[in-house]
Amino acid sequence: MNAMYPSDKAGKSPRVDMGTYSQNAFLLVVLGLLWLIFHLMTLGQPGQFLSPQNLWNLSVQTAVVAILVGGMVLVIVARQIDLSVGSLLGFTGMAMALLQAVPPIGQGWPWPLALLVGLLLGAGAGLLQGYLIAYLGAPSFIVTMAGLLVFRNAAYLIAEGRTVGPLQDGFLILGGGLQGSIGPFWSAVVTLLALAYTLWALWRGRWLRQRHGLSVRPFWVDLLITLFLGLVFGSFLWVMNSFPHPVTGLGRGIPVPVLIALGVLVLLHWVSQRTRFGRYVYAIGGNPEAALLAGIPVRRVQVLVFGLMGSLAALAGAVQAARLAFVPTGMGTLLELYVIAAAVVGGTSLAGGSGTILGAALGALIMSSLQNGLVLMGVPTEWQNLILGVVLVVAAVWNARFHRRRI
Amino acid sequence: MSLPLLRAENVSLRFGGLQALDRVSFDLHEGEVHSLVGHNGAGKTTFIRVLAGVYTPQEGRILLRTGDGLEEVRFASPRDAQRFGIETIHQNLALADNLDAVANVFLGRERVRHLSLDEESMETEARRVLERVGAKLPSLRVPVHRLSGGQRQAVAIARALLFRAKVLIMDEPTAALGPGETARVKGLIRALREEGLGIVLISHDLHDVFDLSDRITVMKGGKVVGTVRACESNQEEVLGMILAGEAKR
Amino acid sequence: MRNGWLGVLALLAFAGGTWAQQRPLVVGVSWANFQEERWRRDEAAIKEQLARMGAQYVSTDAQSSAEKQLNDVDSLISRGVNALIILAWDKDAILPAVQKARAAGIPVVAYDRLIADPYAFYISFDNVEVGRQQARAVYQVRPRGNYVFILGAPTDPNADLLHQGQLEILQPAIDRGEIRVVGKQYTEGWRPEVAQRNMEQILAANRNQVDAVVASNDGTAGGVIAALASVGLAGRVPVSGQDGDWPALNRVARGLQTVSVWKDARELGRRAAEIAVLLARGTRPDQILGAQRFRVPGDPRGTVVNAVLLRPIPITRDNLHIVLEAGWITKEALCQGVSGPQAPAVCR
Repeated sequence: MNAMYPSDKAGKSPRVDMGTYSQNAFLLVVLGLLWLIFHLMTLGQPGQFLSPQNLWNLSVQTAVVAILVGGMVLVIVARQIDLSVGSLLGFTGMAMALLQAVPPIGQGWPWPLALLVGLLLGAGAGLLQGYLIAYLGAPSFIVTMAGLLVFRNAAYLIAEGRTVGPLQDGFLILGGGLQGSIGPFWSAVVTLLALAYTLWALWRGRWLRQRHGLSVRPFWVDLLITLFLGLVFGSFLWVMNSFPHPVTGLGRGIPVPVLIALGVLVLLHWVSQRTRFGRYVYAIGGNPEAALLAGIPVRRVQVLVFGLMGSLAALAGAVQAARLAFVPTGMGTLLELYVIAAAVVGGTSLAGGSGTILGAALGALIMSSLQNGLVLMGVPTEWQNLILGVVLVVAAVWNARFHRRRI
Repeated sequence: MSLPLLRAENVSLRFGGLQALDRVSFDLHEGEVHSLVGHNGAGKTTFIRVLAGVYTPQEGRILLRTGDGLEEVRFASPRDAQRFGIETIHQNLALADNLDAVANVFLGRERVRHLSLDEESMETEARRVLERVGAKLPSLRVPVHRLSGGQRQAVAIARALLFRAKVLIMDEPTAALGPGETARVKGLIRALREEGLGIVLISHDLHDVFDLSDRITVMKGGKVVGTVRACESNQEEVLGMILAGEAKR
Repeated sequence: MRNGWLGVLALLAFAGGTWAQQRPLVVGVSWANFQEERWRRDEAAIKEQLARMGAQYVSTDAQSSAEKQLNDVDSLISRGVNALIILAWDKDAILPAVQKARAAGIPVVAYDRLIADPYAFYISFDNVEVGRQQARAVYQVRPRGNYVFILGAPTDPNADLLHQGQLEILQPAIDRGEIRVVGKQYTEGWRPEVAQRNMEQILAANRNQVDAVVASNDGTAGGVIAALASVGLAGRVPVSGQDGDWPALNRVARGLQTVSVWKDARELGRRAAEIAVLLARGTRPDQILGAQRFRVPGDPRGTVVNAVLLRPIPITRDNLHIVLEAGWITKEALCQGVSGPQAPAVCR
C-alpha cells in the first residue's frame, strides 16, 4: 500500500490515464491484424475481406451491436448487468412492426409514429427495470433475467406467434440496403464536418489547458494524432463511397444504420467523459458508498442508466427490423450475450468501475469482423462459434491484467 | 467564553434494538482540536456520521453557529452538512478508486460549463488545494488506487478543504500511514487549527491525541464518559477512563 | 340391515367402475419452444381434434431447454396422462423421457421432430419430400449456375433431412458440373438475422455471382432475400422456403421468393391428436391408417420407427389460391404491394 512513488514532476500529468489509452491502442492493433489476416486468407477468392463491398457490409452488420454496447458499458460500469436487451429489442421491434404494417396484419400507422412509440416502450421498460433495481433493491441479474423471459414472451403474444411484415419503405431506410445510405455527397459532408469538429476539439482542448497553465501532450504527438485521424476519416469515406449502387452506379455512401450507431457512440462517449451524469456512473461503479457520501443521487442515476439501455434496445430493434424488412418473433434472441461479450473484449470490467465507450466499440467491431471474416472464408458453422468463444476468453484474460488493483 | 462552532445536545441514535448513541453531548470551538477516543464500537464513528449528515438522530439536537447565535439544524443528507461547512474525512477515505485525483476532489460537486464538465478549471483548483496540503502526487490524472496511502489521504483532505470547511472531521487520519506521512498530516492539522478551523479528531493513538488536541472526550458504549483538557490530563488518566468507563474524581 | 349396507356398497362400486370407465382420456403435449410462429396453429388443431374425440388437453413448454423438457415429461406422466405428444427440443436428450413413458405404459407420439426410439410413433411431414420440393422449384427456374445452400439450425435433425431431399434433386446436376455450390452455411436457431449475414458474406465472397439460393424455411428465406435486395438481386435469383408464413407468401406473390413449401400444420396437429388417442385406447401402431416403417437417417444402430408422413404442398405464384381457399391467409395480407402486369392471378 505504501509504495514509493517519485514526487510530482511539476506540470507533467498526462491528460488521461495511460491505462485506457494503451488498452484501446492495443485493441486497434488487434483489429488491424485481424483485418490483415482475413484479407490474406481471402486473396484467392473473387471477393476479399478488404473490399468496399465487404467493409460496407461489415459496418452495417456491426451497427446493431454498436448501438447497444455503449449503453451496456454504462450499465456494467455502474456495477449492474442487463440481460433483457435482446428480448426488449425483439419486443419493441415487434411492436413497431405491428403498428406500421397494413391492416389486417397491423395498424397501418405512419412509421415515424410507430418508431416513436417503440422508443418510448423501450425507455419505459428500462426505467421500470431500473426502478425495481435501484429503489426496491432487487439484484439486476434477476430483474433483467425476468425481463428477458417477459419481453420474449410478450413479443410472441402481441404477434400471436406470427412473423410480421412487410414494413413501410420509409422505415426500411433505417436498415441500410438499397435505399438506406446517404449518397457520396452527403457522406463527404458528414465525414468532413465530423473530422473538422474532432480536430477543433483536440486543438482547442490543448489551447484551453495551456491557457490554464496545465500540461499538454508534446506537439508532435498531437500532430501525429491529427494525421492519424485524417487518415481514418478519409479511408472511411473512401470505402463508403466506393461500394457502387447497382442502379445508379454511384457510390452508396454511409449507410443510415452506421450513421445512427456512430451518432449514438459519439453521444455516449461525450456523456461518459464530459458530463456529471457520466462521472456519477463511474463513481458509483468505483465506490458506491463514496458516491453516496459525496451526495451523488445514486438511485436516480441507476434508474436512468437502465432507461437509457432500454431506449437503445428499441433503437437497435428498429434498425434490426428495418434491415430484415420483417420481424420474426425470435428477433434478438441471445443478443445480450454478444453485447456483453463485445463490452468485455473492449476492456469493460464486469466488476464495475472501468470501461470506455471507444474500447467497447472496438470490441464490437472485433467480434463482428471475426464473424464476417470466418463466413467470408467459408468456415463451417460449428467452427465459427468455437473460434469466437476462444477469442472471447483470451480477451477477457488479457484485459484482466489491466484491471488488477492494489487492495 | 465565545460561542462554539458546533454543539450537539443529548444526541441519541438507535439501530433496531441497539442503542448506538445515548444522550451524547459535544461541542467544538474555533481554532480547536477536540478528539474523540474510546474502544472500537464505542460510538465514535457513529457520532461523527451524525455530524456529517449520514445518520439522523432520533433524539437530541445539533446546533451550529450562524452569525451571532446558535441555530438548530437538521441534516437530511451529507450534502446538507457540507453546505453548512462541515467536511468529513471518513476512515475509509470514501474515494472512488477508479477516478483520478481531480475527479475525487470535486466528487459530487463538479464544475460545469455549457453542459459539460469544466475539467480545466477543476484541475487548476485541485492542483492549488493539493499544494496547500503539501501533497506530492506523481500525477493528478491517474486513478487514485495507484497512489500511496498518504497521497490518497491528501486527496481526501484536499476535497474537504476545497469547499471552505469551518468544521473538519477526521476519522483515524493516520492509522494506515508511515511515520513521514503521519508527521505531515499532523503538521497540517496544526496549520488548519491556526487558520481557525474547528477539528474533530478520532484516533486510537493516545500519543498523537495528546500531541494535537486541546480537549479530549472519551466514549464508551455509546455514552460520553467524560471530557478533559489535554493540558490538565495525561495518557494514563485517559486510558483509565477508556477502560473503566467512568471519569476519575 | 346387512342387505342394505351391501346394496349401498354395490352401488358405490358400480358407480366407481363406470366413472373410471367414463373418465376422459388425457393427452399431454410437451412443446419444445412455443416461441416459434407455427406451433400456435398446431396447438389449436390438436385441441380441436382431442375435443372431438372426447379427450382432454394438457401441455408444457420446455422453452428451448432439453433439461426442462425432461422435467416437463416427468410432470405430465405424474399428472396421469394417457398418451404423450412430444415435440423434442433435442432428439438425443429426450430419449430417457421416452423410456420413462414406456415404463409407465404411456404411448408416445414424436411430433414433427424425429425421436430415434422405436417406441415413439413419428408423425411429420415428409421433410425429405419438403427438401425435394424446394430444390425442384428452384431448379425449374435456374437449372444451371452458382447455387447457395442456406440450411437450418445445426442442432435440428430436420435441417439435414431437408438437405438430403434437396441434394437428391440437385446432386446429378452438381455431378455433371451444371451446378456449382459456391456457398453453404447452417443457420443458428433458424434465425433470419443470421441467414441475412451469412448470405451477405457469401455474396461478397463471390462478388455477387450467385444464381440460385436453396433456403430451408421462410424465415431464413426472408433474410436471404434482404441480403439479395441490398445488391439489387431480389427477384432475379430464385429462393426457396418452407412454412407458408404470411410475409413469405406475400413475397411469392411479389415475385421475390419462388416457393414456400406449405405444410398445413392443422392437418399435422389433427392427425397427431387422433393417433395419440387411438394408441391410448389400445390400437396397435401398425393398425394406424397410413402407418409405415421409417428408417432413421444416419443412425448407426439402424433404428426403425413407426411413422405417418404427410405430404407437403409447394406453393408458387401459380397455385397461391390454395392457401387462400384453405383460409390460411387473407387476400389483403397476401396481395399487399402486389401490382402491375406481373401480378399473379389471385391478386388481380
